[in-house]
Amino acid sequence: MNRVLLARLIDLVIVLFGVSIIVFLMIRMIPGDAVAIMLGANTEITPERMAELNRRVGLDRPIIEQYLLWAGSALRGDFGTSLWTGRPVSTEILLHLWPTLELTFLSLLVGAVLAVPVGCLMAQTRGGAADVVMRVSAIAGLTIPSFWLGIVLILLLSSWAPGFASLGYVPFSEDPVGNLQRMVLPAFALALPILANLSRLVRSAMLDALGQDYVRTARAKGLPERRVVYKHALRNALIPFLTSVGIMTGYLLGGAIVVEQVFAIPGLGRLILGAIAERNYPLIQATILVVTAGFVFVNFLVDFLYIVVDPRVRA
Amino acid sequence: MVRSALRSAIGAGFMVAAMASASAQVLEIGADNGPTGLDPHLITAFPSFMVVNGNIYEGLTAVDRDLKIVPGLAESWTVAPDGKAYTFKLRQGVKFHDGSAMEAQDVVASINRVLSKDIASPLASRLSAVESANAVDATTVELKLKEPSAALLSSLATIAIVPGSMEANKDALQKAPVGTGPFKFQEWQPNGFILLTKNEAYWDKGMPKLAGLKFNIVPESATRQVGLSNGQYALLPNIDAATALQLKGKPNVKLSETMDLAYTLIGMNVSKPPFDNPKVREAVNYAINRQEIVDAALFGAGVPGGPLSPALKNWALDVSKFACYKPDPAKAQALLKEAGVATPVSVTMKVLPRQDIKDIAQVVQEQLNKAGFKVELVNQEQGQFIQDWRNSNFDLFASINAGQPDPDDYFYRTFRTGGSTNVFKYSDAEIDGLLDQARTQQDQAARKTAYDKVQQKLACSGPVAHLTYGTLFSAMNSKLQAFETMPNRSLLMLRNASY
Repeated sequence: MNRVLLARLIDLVIVLFGVSIIVFLMIRMIPGDAVAIMLGANTEITPERMAELNRRVGLDRPIIEQYLLWAGSALRGDFGTSLWTGRPVSTEILLHLWPTLELTFLSLLVGAVLAVPVGCLMAQTRGGAADVVMRVSAIAGLTIPSFWLGIVLILLLSSWAPGFASLGYVPFSEDPVGNLQRMVLPAFALALPILANLSRLVRSAMLDALGQDYVRTARAKGLPERRVVYKHALRNALIPFLTSVGIMTGYLLGGAIVVEQVFAIPGLGRLILGAIAERNYPLIQATILVVTAGFVFVNFLVDFLYIVVDPRVRA
Repeated sequence: MVRSALRSAIGAGFMVAAMASASAQVLEIGADNGPTGLDPHLITAFPSFMVVNGNIYEGLTAVDRDLKIVPGLAESWTVAPDGKAYTFKLRQGVKFHDGSAMEAQDVVASINRVLSKDIASPLASRLSAVESANAVDATTVELKLKEPSAALLSSLATIAIVPGSMEANKDALQKAPVGTGPFKFQEWQPNGFILLTKNEAYWDKGMPKLAGLKFNIVPESATRQVGLSNGQYALLPNIDAATALQLKGKPNVKLSETMDLAYTLIGMNVSKPPFDNPKVREAVNYAINRQEIVDAALFGAGVPGGPLSPALKNWALDVSKFACYKPDPAKAQALLKEAGVATPVSVTMKVLPRQDIKDIAQVVQEQLNKAGFKVELVNQEQGQFIQDWRNSNFDLFASINAGQPDPDDYFYRTFRTGGSTNVFKYSDAEIDGLLDQARTQQDQAARKTAYDKVQQKLACSGPVAHLTYGTLFSAMNSKLQAFETMPNRSLLMLRNASY
């Protein structure tokens, strides 16, 4: 067991190293450099002043030197300063991390927790009216884009409950009610596709499990159906479910970019989007590393849970 | 004991009520983009300008809603007879937000900071005429010029006065600005909000009336509109016509509008064929139907425009004076034939990524195609567009530019040979001569004559086909009083506003 986890830990380090190089190179391959964008299209700027600005932000050095300097500092925990605001990148990331973590957690909670009973119910009523209705809803949930759903939800709510503050972000510690009020719509918009996806997955995994010999044995022993489904079949059906939850977390971070944009939530998604638009290299590099680390870490957790859920993996 | 509890309860109640009424006066603004820095000598983007200009910082001069130059931190000024020295008398009792007094040496340090190579301010060229700045005494500043500069007072309105101690500091003001304006910087949560609070020690007694300004960064237009409708935001400044039309007539929402100084344009690269030929450029102008663009892309909220905005009432010529502004596709085709180019003329047009510009580009494409061109539209991402623009890597481009209150600010850098934003590579001896003459001319009538000639020539065969000047709107809660939209997009008038 320890060897499996150690191998995953080494993977994590290799992935982060690889991503740091790829991001560093890719972001510099996009046309439009930071200084040009910083100065905009409508300024009076001479090439000499551009060169000075380039020197100031360290973009005049060879790219390998830039990478080594950056990676060296990053290893010591210093991710540099934002090119635009001059603030430490780590401060900006920390500021933006919480809203995204909260949004991800709430959407995952709503999506994954509901998916289990819905999926089981679909499997149990296979082919029946309830199953068909839920399957059609699931397909709708998968195809409706989160940003569209978000805008519709905002518009509906503003006409039904005009006083409901649904935009922006307030930390939970400052105003718990205001925080949850603002989080409910975006979390729902993000959770819907997850619920749709995971419930379909639980349904097919359950159908598969319900056809297995051990389920027949359990039923033959006269166990109540609820116990057969939730105790015996579900445990095996959870393996593909866990894998998907890991992948969904990655999806959530992507979806969060759009949903944060719609609901004006100052999260990591918007930080990345803004940083790319302004070619804020240190900020892009660090933020993508943090997101990658989060994604890899979740998968690491999933691997760990496999071991807990399925004794065969321990071997 | 009961009495003391009651007293505490009443006291607490009053406190809560006082806090509630104070917080009610912080104006909630829905802004489309966040600032990208707050150093007034380094920023160029509108979202930064909107926050700092007139709110946190002030210049020696200011522009009013009619774009006239009015006193700012300088109460008055005199100009030497040869136009090569300006003496400014500073307002007394002005304090920076850090509590220090604003004096002549701060003004001198601010001007030197903008001119300093180390700071690399993009505003430096606005002060290119300045030879030296000197503090005569605590409240008197003298600027010596290399040559007379007619646009100096207008330029100075854009140069913020910062504490002298900041002269060599490259980073501090980007994060924590210190100015003399009616509002003080309080907190900046990137992508979240930026909060300014009332400057209690503001020199203009009784101002500002609001307890503060909170710029909420809300990138989605639909979200901003909902926020205004449900009362979460009290002001959406500088919105486009499409958004304004959607908000028109909604309960508790009112609109303020003005003619925008910014203009939409088609830029032509005169360093390569076919646009090196003035006849081809003239053909482009004959091909374009400006009214059709206003109707189709701006929902009628705007006017066909020439080289200067109609908002510059003292300078702009009536567009009916330009023969080539009467749409005539046949004449355009004849001009192309005269120019000796084979039709259809295949060209690409790079498009700034903004919805109104994309719409305009499509209308122009259609119009040019009817007149003998074959235009391919290239949609670009902002960073790439700026890069190509800067490197003159285009045949044609469609874009929007901020205008300037003084013609010199716009014409000189754009159309003078070697001008800093002359990305078109345009060079015309007559235009150069007129611009040089108007720049150093003290006599207003003579300047006007020179700029009339410049407009006449640029309108038909210049490197820019000026298209439209849109109506600029702000939408606000009907309780917001005394706020008006300014043509240069400044939110300076928030100092007078109440809510």
